[in-house]
Amino acid sequence: MAYSSKSPWLIHYDGSSCNGCDIEVLDSLTPLYDIERFGIINTGNPKHADIFLVTGSINAQNIRVVRHIYSQMLEPKVVVACGICACTGGVFRDCYNVIGGVDKAIPVDVYAPGCAVRPETIIDAVLKGVEILDEKARRIEAGEVLTDPEDLLDDDAVNARLKAMEERE
Amino acid sequence: MALLGFLIAFPLLVAIALMAFRKDSVRDPLVIGSAAVIGVASVACAVTFMGNPSTFAMTPEMSLAGNYVAVAVDLFLCGLVFALSIAYRNGVMFAMSFVQLLVSIWCGSFALHPEDAMAEPMYIDNLSVIMVLIVGLVGSAICIYALGYMKDFQHHEDEAARRAGTAAADRRHQFIALMFLFLSAMFIIVTSDNMDWLVAGWEITTVCSFLMIGYTRTPEARKSAILQINLNMIGGLAFHIALVYMHVVGVPLSINGMVEVAGGAQSAQLVIPLMLLSIAGLTKAAQMPFHRWLLGAMVAPTPTSALLHSSTMVKAGVFLLVKMAPLYLLYPVASAMVVGIGGITFVLCSFMAISQSNAKRVLAYSTIANLGLISACAGVGTSEAVWAAIFLIIFHTVSKSVLFLCVGTVEHRIGSRNIEDMDGLFSRLPHLTRFMMLGIMGMFVAPFGMLISKWATLVSFAETGNVVFLILLAFGSAATFFFWAKWLGKLAGVSQKAENVEGGVHRTEWTAIGFISALLIGCCVLLPVISQLVIGPYLEVTYHKVPRLIDVDNMIIMVAIVLFIAIVLLTPWGRSSKARQHVYLSGSCIDADSRSYLGSMGRTMRSTKRNWYLDDVFPEAALTRVGLIVCTSVVLMAFAACFIFNPELLTGGAFFVEREVLLVGPGLPGIALGVVAFGVAAPVLGCLLDGLDRKVSARMQGRVGPRLLQPYWDVRKLLGKQQTSVNAIDEAYVTCALVFCILAGGMFVSGSNLLMCVFLVTLATLFVIIAAYSSRSPWADSGADRECLQVMSYEPMLLIMTVGFFTATQSFDIARLFSLEEPIVLSLVPIFLGLLFILTIKLRKSPFDLSYSHHAHQELLKGITTEMTGRTLAKIEVMHWCESVLFLMWVGMFFIWDSPASIPVAVAVVAATWLFEVAIDNNFARTKWQNCLKYAWLVALVVGVVNLFYVLITPFI
Repeated sequence: MAYSSKSPWLIHYDGSSCNGCDIEVLDSLTPLYDIERFGIINTGNPKHADIFLVTGSINAQNIRVVRHIYSQMLEPKVVVACGICACTGGVFRDCYNVIGGVDKAIPVDVYAPGCAVRPETIIDAVLKGVEILDEKARRIEAGEVLTDPEDLLDDDAVNARLKAMEERE
Repeated sequence: MALLGFLIAFPLLVAIALMAFRKDSVRDPLVIGSAAVIGVASVACAVTFMGNPSTFAMTPEMSLAGNYVAVAVDLFLCGLVFALSIAYRNGVMFAMSFVQLLVSIWCGSFALHPEDAMAEPMYIDNLSVIMVLIVGLVGSAICIYALGYMKDFQHHEDEAARRAGTAAADRRHQFIALMFLFLSAMFIIVTSDNMDWLVAGWEITTVCSFLMIGYTRTPEARKSAILQINLNMIGGLAFHIALVYMHVVGVPLSINGMVEVAGGAQSAQLVIPLMLLSIAGLTKAAQMPFHRWLLGAMVAPTPTSALLHSSTMVKAGVFLLVKMAPLYLLYPVASAMVVGIGGITFVLCSFMAISQSNAKRVLAYSTIANLGLISACAGVGTSEAVWAAIFLIIFHTVSKSVLFLCVGTVEHRIGSRNIEDMDGLFSRLPHLTRFMMLGIMGMFVAPFGMLISKWATLVSFAETGNVVFLILLAFGSAATFFFWAKWLGKLAGVSQKAENVEGGVHRTEWTAIGFISALLIGCCVLLPVISQLVIGPYLEVTYHKVPRLIDVDNMIIMVAIVLFIAIVLLTPWGRSSKARQHVYLSGSCIDADSRSYLGSMGRTMRSTKRNWYLDDVFPEAALTRVGLIVCTSVVLMAFAACFIFNPELLTGGAFFVEREVLLVGPGLPGIALGVVAFGVAAPVLGCLLDGLDRKVSARMQGRVGPRLLQPYWDVRKLLGKQQTSVNAIDEAYVTCALVFCILAGGMFVSGSNLLMCVFLVTLATLFVIIAAYSSRSPWADSGADRECLQVMSYEPMLLIMTVGFFTATQSFDIARLFSLEEPIVLSLVPIFLGLLFILTIKLRKSPFDLSYSHHAHQELLKGITTEMTGRTLAKIEVMHWCESVLFLMWVGMFFIWDSPASIPVAVAVVAATWLFEVAIDNNFARTKWQNCLKYAWLVALVVGVVNLFYVLITPFI
């Protein structure tokens, strides 16, 4: 029996963005969309969360924060990149301080494009993420050890990405 | 007789020997040896005289010789104080000691008449045995502790002197000699029937403590010492005047004989002496308005504080009051004065302890507050109250001395006695901190002494219709919870990389602390035995009846809980080996141990959190002023009343309605069955209720909402998550909380004790609070602070509810409800409404969901549960379900009576209440903590006063 899919709790983080996707995430909490139907709760606490919902792109300031939050979530966990900025960097892609999409910082499981991403898409993406969550839970139960990327809290890895960003400039 | 003589003479000899030997190498074995001898002798004394009250006859010559010695000692001490007052150039001290010298000469001139020699000047009964044990065991353990402590103390003095370019005098021999002299004086006080002898011991303790407080000879110490002697001279003067009065009117000066006199023809002549002796007792017990000497005494080296203010000197004051307790039943004015001062002191000093950051001042205030409670109990004078007072004396002594000794040692280790500096002590001084936590729990947590004492206090206040003091007790206890819990939280914080600095603690210090901690646990475990075999016989002799307040099954449960808590604290049980994780610092944590994080512009910031002192709510200066004014006027009014009213009224006896506590509980098998039933049914019901709550809330907001079983799925998921935690111990605490909660529920459904149920729920909450504090996370810490505040907010109402229950049913047992002719709500409507109000806080519903909330975002993240993950969080959820069910059953109990129809009625009321709470939750925004405290206390105060007046005063009209 997969329990993760019945109770996906979220933590939402907004990176470099116009805040459009940010608002849409909150929209999906409203009675019209009512994501609590699926047992989803916006916890705001990585230690309670199963799904990491990121909007906006990764920049020089927030790359460490995103990686840290990710590292504090407990397995099984899933990352959903919401909106085109989170997927690829979007219109901010070429900014001097932007590194790129969320996958430049942490492994992403579901990409939900859109500018801004629509609540329906968010819900769809989260439910996709829930399937992956169950899948991961099954793998853990089978004895597989899911490990975070080894360099998650490592400064060198971040510096390498920052250097790549500077070289691109 | 020989044994008593030995107990008095031996410490005296040791004191003289100590003055002669100044070398550590001689002193150490001498002190340890003689402390052991005193300990053994007091145990021997206890074994001989326990349950065997005896008086000791003397030849008239010997008795008279004793009188001569007592008078000589008394006069010598008065003269000494007089001389010192000249040396210190203190006008007040000079004037008072002059007056006292005159009075004691007058008093002594009576005592020297041969016909004043009593035939049996010494006695021992079970109360004296208890006091002998306290002084002999705890007191001599403190003497051993002083050896190591004073070495460090002298070391610090020498260092300071070297820096200043002078040499510090080594006067430790005087200090330790004084301590032994003190023990001797205490033995005199607790075994003398002749009050001329008693007063000599009384004065020795006063002067000894004066010298010990002034030991360091700094200006501050001198000021405190003078304050101490001035205030205590008021008591001494009152004592002497009382003796002179009794000599003049011809009342025998026997402390045990006073009770017989009180019933006889001379009854009216005891009014004034009783008032004066009460004043003497209250002064020694540091009650308002005389309380400030105990605060000042905290400048003294810690063994002084431990010896004087936990186990001996202040206990002499309450000992006198407890001895006179039967008199207070006959003399209403004196009773009102003592109860009034004790009650007010208890509540005000508990409030003031909240605003203190100096650990020793917190201890001082809590000592004064507890002595207030003991005095109030003694002042009520019923057998239940005396039972409570004696238990309070025992538990206060052992817990408080552990705390004083620990704080003293900690101060030498970390160089501070500020509670703020005790952050993370759990890792830095692991063993010492655990003992300290045990001591703190002994001071206020349910199964330790406090619960049963409060229990008896509630009953005796209810018997005498003392509504005001029931209310004071309720609020004072709530404040007590707050200041202890936040200190406990500070101690409980676990840091991962702290250095252990326990190495330098002396062996003697460990011995004393370990020994007294063992005594603490021993007293708790032997609680039923002490009640049956020690205090019972004493009350049998004094009152010809033994109160039966608590069923044996409840006592056994308490013992089990104490053992359980001791295991959790002192052994490695329940420590998890889960992967460690940093605390959450918004994703920018640099170093979890120092709670530093990356701020804006690349700066490194530190998150610091201080304890919560509520200075603006409980300002120390203003409360002190209020206390001084109110208590002084109580004393003055009481004395005025003695002269205004006629003797019939003054000796007419107190208002008193006997309320026998009916014990109708189900016994241990019944409780076990109840626990199992509750443990199975409550999570199921609670889970469904929680799901229904979310569903109904969603509908109220125009949403569909989650599945009904959503809470179940949530918990199942949490159980399957990866297991990590911020420290090894938080899950153990949460497990304890869950166990206590289920136990509380089990006691309720099996029809056992309501008060115990209420206290167990509070205990469970305390463990959740400690678990949150142990993480040292800023979010969890703030959440835990707010949880403490919430407990403080609703606790008075719960106590008032149990008193209401007791007055309506004559019992604390829930099973009693089924034999009532009408539901208790009929006489307790205001209390029922008050319960509905605090139910919002207890169910964590808006607007009072301060510490933790189910709603989406909270300013404190997830408050108290922020650092709890996976399985630990699942346990919290399950506990929350059980609590909800239990609280709703509390609502239902108001509608149960001897009829099968009552069950559906109760269920309907519960359902309506629940819907009402959900509606409130959805319609109110979260409020400020100030409002939570203000409204909850206001509601408790109003409904408490209104309802209790109605039910308690009615029998008198």
